[in-house]
Amino acid sequence: MILLEYHNAVVEKTLAPIVSLKETVLDSTVVDFDGVVYHISTRTSKDVIWFSLSWSCYNELTKWGATDMLRKEYGQYLISSPEQGYNLTLEFDLKNLPSTEEEREALVKKMALIKRNLLAQPFEHAFDQQAQFEDNDQPNPQPDLMQIHYRDQEAIYIQAQHDRVTVIFSTLFKEETDRIVGKVFLQEFVDARRLPNIQNAPQVLYSHKEPPLEIRHLPEFRHLKESENVGFVTFVLFPRHFVRGDVRDATISQIQLFRDYLHYHIKCSKAYMHSRMRARVQAFLKVLNRAKPDPVVVEKKTISGRNVIKS
Amino acid sequence: MSLKLPPVIMDNGTGYTKLGFAGNNAPSFVFPTVVATRDSPSGHATGPSIPSKPSHLSSNIASKRGIEDLDFHIGDEAIANSKTYGLHYPIRHGQIENWDHMERFWEQSIFKYLRCEPEDHYFLLTEPPLNAPENREQTAEIMFESFNIQGLYIAVQAVLALAASWSSNKTSDYVLTGTVIDSGDGVTHVIPVAEGYVIGSSLKHIPIAGRDLTYFVQQLLRDHNETSIPPEDSLKVAEKIKEQYSYVCPDIVKEFKKYDQEPDKYFTKYQGVHSVTGKPYEVDVGFERFLGPEIFFNPEIASSDFLTPIPDVIDNVIQSCPIDTRRGLYKNIVLSGGSTMFKDFGKRLQRDIKRVVDARIKRSEELSGGLLKSTPIDVNVISHKKQRYAVWFGGSLLGSTSMKNMGQVSVGIIVCSAVSLRNMVASGDDKLL
Repeated sequence: MILLEYHNAVVEKTLAPIVSLKETVLDSTVVDFDGVVYHISTRTSKDVIWFSLSWSCYNELTKWGATDMLRKEYGQYLISSPEQGYNLTLEFDLKNLPSTEEEREALVKKMALIKRNLLAQPFEHAFDQQAQFEDNDQPNPQPDLMQIHYRDQEAIYIQAQHDRVTVIFSTLFKEETDRIVGKVFLQEFVDARRLPNIQNAPQVLYSHKEPPLEIRHLPEFRHLKESENVGFVTFVLFPRHFVRGDVRDATISQIQLFRDYLHYHIKCSKAYMHSRMRARVQAFLKVLNRAKPDPVVVEKKTISGRNVIKS
Repeated sequence: MSLKLPPVIMDNGTGYTKLGFAGNNAPSFVFPTVVATRDSPSGHATGPSIPSKPSHLSSNIASKRGIEDLDFHIGDEAIANSKTYGLHYPIRHGQIENWDHMERFWEQSIFKYLRCEPEDHYFLLTEPPLNAPENREQTAEIMFESFNIQGLYIAVQAVLALAASWSSNKTSDYVLTGTVIDSGDGVTHVIPVAEGYVIGSSLKHIPIAGRDLTYFVQQLLRDHNETSIPPEDSLKVAEKIKEQYSYVCPDIVKEFKKYDQEPDKYFTKYQGVHSVTGKPYEVDVGFERFLGPEIFFNPEIASSDFLTPIPDVIDNVIQSCPIDTRRGLYKNIVLSGGSTMFKDFGKRLQRDIKRVVDARIKRSEELSGGLLKSTPIDVNVISHKKQRYAVWFGGSLLGSTSMKNMGQVSVGIIVCSAVSLRNMVASGDDKLL
């Protein structure tokens, strides 16, 4: 498994009653990357399923069209007053669902992708703004610098420019080892791009402690402490990366999982190194065991010259 | 994080792994603890090959861009891919044997299945009773160093099974003393627990468990000439029959009589479909319905090397425990695991143990010449709805109540040795203490 999957497998599995229409009592809390918490429950009766979501950056996302997307994609299920402690709630009445099983499966799949769809909105917005630059009939817009603080101390910054869209991730490594492995990793991103077959990949820049120019003016970076382990990863997306349709969807899905992808692979590399170390230790142990001196066998003789035979 | 994230509960057993989040009623995933990798399944090939010289000396760096270490599957997907990959079972007899595979197994279960960032979560793992401190240390090391988790708590499975029994309405107070009967697929354990500590010197293993039941049912089906079962499906059919129709009878002789008098009422039919040809077939299901689980109580009908019935084993285990714990142990006998799910298993067990205990009291009263009278001993076998995944559920229960303020967990629950605690401190996590 090199790439992480876009949908949430637990949500898909927990919402199985929507496909099978079987009435069951549900009450489970499920998480997703970046601190998303879902709560899937049957409140009043067994045939009404509530699906709630909570995410720290939800309010920022609504600024960039998340509400419209929700209305469009999930509209009929959305209820106006979300569950206590959650940002949004959808209600599924088992008696009032699409009639065919395929449609219901598609609905569950869509629910498993809700986090992706929410975070996709700022990207869509940036791509649209970039399209306006291309379009000579429209006045050039004032591109928004969109900040999404999707984790406690980390954020994504997205800005459209006249010929590109820049996506900046601020990353924070809790541990020194992670920072080093992460650095090697990001270096590799830059190197790997030199290979002939991935020339078309977006440009990736990495800077440590030094915020890129696009976001240097933000108040939160004015007093960046020397000690902080903040790194910045910049992706430069050109219009060929977000051609409408599958390419755009794939770009959005992949880029928003970047942080999790990075951390997943740091962990995988560490695991790999651990197994190398274990194998190496085993090899050394073998050598050590071989180096044990053999017991010295000395031929012993009695005074009369006969061999002593041990019984 | 705005909303506190629930701790992750992982119960890695020999056969199955149960994954989920604390506070939920059932694990989100239950799949076999198996890793499918590209290399051959012969166990001795551990880890990747080591290059003969350090990497900066060998010229061809590009060849090292391989991603073989990511090419593996776990759980059901591993089974599905077993034709092209080699299967490895990293856990044997409850203990982790292959750390390389286990690390990768965790990797994928966290990122692919649970989809959580381990750095944001607390984790609750389980260990078998009498687990070596080295294993615990190694587990903690991987969890903290590879995954940078926030905090870890390794609980003994038996203690979690006890905690799970709190969900039963039979228990009123939250006691951590009791005898756990944990019967899975491979082996059955009888584990006495006093105040949250396993009494290691008294625990017993019984070599009769789910798989033996299945074999026995298969044998019975063969004996009464069920020729309609295709030979390649026979084990699967036996397993299905065991799971669907079996129950525990109060008296085996009376049960035989009942079947003879009213065959229509008791004999049923199992409908199966041939796995290759797709033809449906029928199997008569009769005495094996109650004879299967009976091997716990009368092992001589199935095996010749283990002959002690399970109530006697439990009684012996409790009798070998410190005298001041015995009443508590009799009072709270808790069932856990899939092979204790048979109907009336608890009832029969309770009656049989009670019989043994009462007989002993009566005899000691007789021997004393009627001078000594002892208070009768309460024997309680507790079965509850969460029995199948009792260990996981107990973890979920504990996780949702106490993981948030781990420092305040009562000493009775924390069953970590000084070694592993020291190790956790060493790996830079003092939140746990």
